Amino acid sequence: MAAPNLSHDPLEPLPLIEGTHTDQTINDSLLTHVLRGAGKGWWMLFGCALSMLGLLVIAISWTLYKGIGAWGNNIPVGWAFGIINFVWWIGIGHAGTLISAILLLFQQKWRTSINRFAEAMTLFAVICALLFPLLHTGRPWFAAYWLMPYPSVQRIWPQFKSPLTWDVFAVSTYFTISLLFWFLGLVPDLAALRETTKSKTKRFIYGLFAMGWRGSGRHWAEYKWAYLLLAGLSTPLVLSVHTIVSFDFATSVIPGWHTTIFPPYFVAGAVFSGFAMVMTWMIPARHFLGLKHVVTMKHLENMNKIMLVTGMMVGYGYVMEHFIAWYSGNPYEMGQFFLTRWHGPMRWIFRTMVFCNIVVPQMFWSKRLRTSIPVMWVAAILINIGMWCERFNIVVTSLHRDFLPSSWKDYSPTWVDLSLFIGTIGLFSTLFLLFLKFVPAVAVTEVKELRHELAEHDAVAGETHA
Amino acid sequence: MSCDDNHEARANDRARRSLPMVGAENVAGAETGLTSRPLWRSIEERSLLGAVPGAANEFPGGASEMDGVSRRGFMQLLGVSTAIATVGAACRKPNEKIIPFVRRPEEITPGNALHFATAYALEGYTSGLLVESHEGRPTKIEGNPAHPETIGATTVTEQALILGLYDDDRAKQLRRGGDAIGWQTFLADVKARGGKLTEKGGSGLRFLTGPTTSPLLADLRRRILERFPQAKFVSYAAVAGDGAVEGSKMAFGRPLVPRHHLAPAAVILSLDSDFMADGPEQTRLSREFSARREPSRDMNRLYVIEPALTITGGMADHRLRLRGSDVGALLGSLCAMLSGRGLSALGPVGSLGHGQGSWDPKWLVALCGDLERNRGRSLVIAGRRQPPVVHALAAALNVALGNLGSTVEYGVPITTDATSGAAALGALAEDIAAGSVDTLVVTGENPVYAAPVDYKLAQLLKRVPNVIYHGLYEDETAAICNYFVPAAHVLESWGDGRATDGIVSISQPLIAPLWGGRTEAEVLAAFVGDGDLGTHELLRRYWRGMAKLPGNPVGSFDNVWERWLADGIVPDTGAGAEAGVAINGQALAQAAAPLLARTGSGMEIAFATDPKVFDGRFANNAWLQELAHPITKLTWDNALLISDATAKGLDLETGDIVEVTYRDRTLEAPAMIVPGHVDDAITLPLGYGRTATGHVGRGVGFNANALRTSEAPWFDRGAALSKTGKRFKFAITQDHWTMSPDGRDSPPPAVSAPLAEVLNPGSMFHEELEERRGPQAVIHQPVDYSGQAYKWGMSVDLNKCTGCNACVVACQSENNIASVGKDGVGRGREMQWIRIDRYFSGPVDEPEMINQPLGCVHCETAPCEYVCPVNATVHSDEGLNEMIYNRCIGTRYCSNNCPYKVRRFNFLDYTGDISAARELGMNPEVTVRSRGVMEKCTYCVQRIERARIATRIEGRTIADGELQTACQQGCPTQAIVFGSLNDPNSKVSQLHADTRRYDLLHELGTRPRTAYLARVRNPNPELAKVD
Repeated sequence: MAAPNLSHDPLEPLPLIEGTHTDQTINDSLLTHVLRGAGKGWWMLFGCALSMLGLLVIAISWTLYKGIGAWGNNIPVGWAFGIINFVWWIGIGHAGTLISAILLLFQQKWRTSINRFAEAMTLFAVICALLFPLLHTGRPWFAAYWLMPYPSVQRIWPQFKSPLTWDVFAVSTYFTISLLFWFLGLVPDLAALRETTKSKTKRFIYGLFAMGWRGSGRHWAEYKWAYLLLAGLSTPLVLSVHTIVSFDFATSVIPGWHTTIFPPYFVAGAVFSGFAMVMTWMIPARHFLGLKHVVTMKHLENMNKIMLVTGMMVGYGYVMEHFIAWYSGNPYEMGQFFLTRWHGPMRWIFRTMVFCNIVVPQMFWSKRLRTSIPVMWVAAILINIGMWCERFNIVVTSLHRDFLPSSWKDYSPTWVDLSLFIGTIGLFSTLFLLFLKFVPAVAVTEVKELRHELAEHDAVAGETHA
Repeated sequence: MSCDDNHEARANDRARRSLPMVGAENVAGAETGLTSRPLWRSIEERSLLGAVPGAANEFPGGASEMDGVSRRGFMQLLGVSTAIATVGAACRKPNEKIIPFVRRPEEITPGNALHFATAYALEGYTSGLLVESHEGRPTKIEGNPAHPETIGATTVTEQALILGLYDDDRAKQLRRGGDAIGWQTFLADVKARGGKLTEKGGSGLRFLTGPTTSPLLADLRRRILERFPQAKFVSYAAVAGDGAVEGSKMAFGRPLVPRHHLAPAAVILSLDSDFMADGPEQTRLSREFSARREPSRDMNRLYVIEPALTITGGMADHRLRLRGSDVGALLGSLCAMLSGRGLSALGPVGSLGHGQGSWDPKWLVALCGDLERNRGRSLVIAGRRQPPVVHALAAALNVALGNLGSTVEYGVPITTDATSGAAALGALAEDIAAGSVDTLVVTGENPVYAAPVDYKLAQLLKRVPNVIYHGLYEDETAAICNYFVPAAHVLESWGDGRATDGIVSISQPLIAPLWGGRTEAEVLAAFVGDGDLGTHELLRRYWRGMAKLPGNPVGSFDNVWERWLADGIVPDTGAGAEAGVAINGQALAQAAAPLLARTGSGMEIAFATDPKVFDGRFANNAWLQELAHPITKLTWDNALLISDATAKGLDLETGDIVEVTYRDRTLEAPAMIVPGHVDDAITLPLGYGRTATGHVGRGVGFNANALRTSEAPWFDRGAALSKTGKRFKFAITQDHWTMSPDGRDSPPPAVSAPLAEVLNPGSMFHEELEERRGPQAVIHQPVDYSGQAYKWGMSVDLNKCTGCNACVVACQSENNIASVGKDGVGRGREMQWIRIDRYFSGPVDEPEMINQPLGCVHCETAPCEYVCPVNATVHSDEGLNEMIYNRCIGTRYCSNNCPYKVRRFNFLDYTGDISAARELGMNPEVTVRSRGVMEKCTYCVQRIERARIATRIEGRTIADGELQTACQQGCPTQAIVFGSLNDPNSKVSQLHADTRRYDLLHELGTRPRTAYLARVRNPNPELAKVD
């Protein structure tokens, strides 16, 4: 499976659905993994994920019990793992929205078989991300609602000049829309599951969530409109969320943060990391869940191309940061970019970032490499690492050497920091494994639709040829 | 204050219960008791109330490690986990009832602080304090402006006395062996023992005291010696500087002590003397020195010769690093050179000349020129570590240069014992070894820890049948004695003492002894049958009995007494200078020649007093332990200081643990490379490595006394170092030493320039500073504050700041700032609101040091304010950048965006487990911050509001100088000035308009309200380096 299908005509694009299928075979092949009992492999993975989740619970409890002092943060490094992880997870969430909404609007047919998968990842990544803004505060029990503009008897509003307030709106909107979008797309499939399952309980539960979907023409008409509207709503969010997250840094005065290129550079980075994360999970999932006929090499190759493009956008961002630092002549900016980043105590993180985010994606210029499953899987993981390092550079490296050398201080994380990071991976994995178990990983309805469209297209093409 | 057993019982009872007290409990001088019922806040606490005595203190507050989990802690953690699962559970704070005064003491208005004058003696000499008291609880220490030595300012250790007073680790129980006894029992025992001793004229009776100037203690000594003619008193201080007295014997033929005056001094030569941070004259000398640092032709010039960089060395215009043992040789050469250049007054001393040393002859020539040109306006000042010969030659030089009566005067020693070095203690040790000591009364500071190691005092004391020890803590000496008498803290005691000029101050207690401590006078009085009189009565009897009542206009003792107490000084008690002192040149030259010729070889080992814990007596004071060392910025440890070159030669790095071998004794200590240290020498700071004290100071650092012998108490040659391969982690508050550690080209945060440039209005200096102040092009219109009554601002004169840290502790005391421990500092979480940034420039061997105190600068366009999502930091109408603790959710964004990094965050719960006693010392006008909130300098907003209320009642505005911030008030050199910038005549307005003014990080457009004044160096043109 590693090699491209050589029997295929090289001038023709790779197929979006491999093999010949009917609605029934698609239904069967895509719903089996939900309907059959959990396998040994699933339980093993789920066990690992749960233990990591347990670590998260311990780390969160300890943080709440001791305070932020349980983390490695200090003055000047007031933000560290908490914000790094937040930005990283939010970025990962971007692929789902991009695939679901933007590719839908651009009528990119290849999105169909991966959008459900990516949307779920968005949702879970945003859940992981949402833990941190709350946990990283000194008094989360107040932070939980003081950032909301509610009519307080104290007559105090949140401060609307602060990017952190914008964050609350941006991220909560994003989460709500993503959840609705994902759920709406799931409704016809839940109905299909309700029909297919043999267990009474499952039928009841799936039925409940299918919300009385009968597949009538009117249902479909309303559904299509709603889906399109949500896609339209989501599209600006892809740009806005990470733009606003980047404002957390860009509006400050800290060298390394105070940068106008941050909004586009953050969005590109988010898409970059989001696709890398989708690839990291998609490659094993399509193998073990038997989805190779719908998630084909064409899908993987397209995603690699997007990673190449967004990777270069990110690279452009890095170059621009350096150029502007030099061009401005600001000694603090120059110190940050030319001395601290490359030669400071955190230089290895910066250098890892450059390698993973700029050098590694260049492999995808080669068709042979971008269609090689092991290569792209390793590359995707490296890009995930690189993007985490990027956030570390922005957050920690900028803070630990700012203006006055007297206040410079190095940073090192504690076991709680590491546990929280590993723990969120556990949370993500747990949610994802549950998703694979109980919900179709591929939008069955849409694949069926796609099959029909492709069949019509083929038929029309056949007639023209004839 | 009566000291009957009934009172004692109540005091002990109160201590056992360790309760937060409500309202005025103890008014100075008045006998009061616990009148309100004990309050309890939880079942756990309540059950402790009824528990057996002592149980409450079994686990003192904070005794557990910060990271450990106790059983209760575990249950709480469990609770948190459960709470996560069940969000929404309603939490309500328990109801607490307070009981107000029923009968209000006359002079107290609840909420209004009172100030009382008292006095404190660190090395026998007193300094005058003014103590703020809230409802009978002393909370803050200021200097007494009327006192000749303190002149309204304080030293670091004086500021920290408050924390020492409320230290829950202080000794609380009078005991005989391991048995708790009462004072009356103790008196009965002393009486019985005294009776036996009188039979032999008291021949087995010895008293080991610290140096003192107290007339009352001297009188008690006289009475004791009357009763026990064979008894002996020995005075010992680990850091005694006997060189001055012994040196004056060499120079003048009789014991005299110098008193220095820097106001007339144009040229000052310090011979290993850290006069601005060490010794009883430090506050006054710092003030006098800095007063002559205004950039003008009349600016003074400071030459410092010392082995390791000190605060005084950091202020030097020219500094020569020299081993302590080479100072004498240099001084001999200096005398010879001056004599050769025509200073005939030196006489025979001028022919002492002792060859060539490692110093640059050009340096000495330039110094000679300066001293010659400034006859009568120069000063040679020798340090406490230097041997008598150096003090003698310094005296001879001062006399020859005509400085006598101008910059230096000599008077007879006013301490009861002229010297308190190792010699007398050695005699005592011999007596003990010979078995001729039956009863030893120890009132001096912890001799077992501090005595020279060769006396083996710990073993010797075990041979004395009766050892009575009077101390603040159950320390190393307490562990050996048969009787232990807990000492009363100075703020709990009556007493008296004299300043260096002889002026007497009466100490008065601010609070009844928290744990029933007794004064030294009471212990001594017990031997003449007056042990139950109480110090107050002893003191009044003594002073009433003085035949001539100095400065008594009306003749009524009570009136005079009241005035003494109120003023903090007894007028007309100054000792005055001795007239007709003359150098015996011939004798001095003869005595000095062999001493100067004595040289050693090998690496020099030098001991030094610590600018934080002094000789170790403040080891249990967390404020001092957590203070950044003025030079190394080290906290919670001492370090073996070594020069860069010597360390490289031995393949050592900072943090390497080395084994020091000296005179067959060894000591392991972590090394630290420090700029400006002399090569081929090490410095070991004293005062650490305490094995028995409270939980704060126990085991902090290494004990340099383990190598300190009676023959070489300060320095000697012949130490050997070997690397052990082990590493040690220091907690340092400032990791970077230069202003541009990675070579970046940013404007220097702390500006300094030579005098010539400062005086030349067209120089680069002024051009550069012009760019670093004044208005900037901004997008938005800055707020106009001119319509406000006040526009608060501050100025910090880098030319005056010595980096002594007094402001840091003053701020910590005023603003209830928490300590975070070594781990906290190591992680970069220290809480002090003001810090002293210390930068070095130039070569590592010959660095120039500059200090920059930095607290919140109250930017008019503050970067911290707009990033806070909940409006927890906002601007006041008068331009204060305010912090609203109860609105803060702790995002720390404000700190991230603060370019000065002056915000401090409560990463952990630093105040939750402080002892009930410590709670009493908190300033009630400042909120105690909880976990998870940000805090920072407020420009002492509580003092502003206090002044506002007072002046509003009087219908006027706050006058300039009427209001001082805590840092400003504590500063010995008046480097910090605070006031309203809307008043063009205010001192701060004038300083803001000074030509040396610049704003830190002006280029960011933050418009800080704190302005800095550049440091001015005054190099000798003959030595001015071509930069």
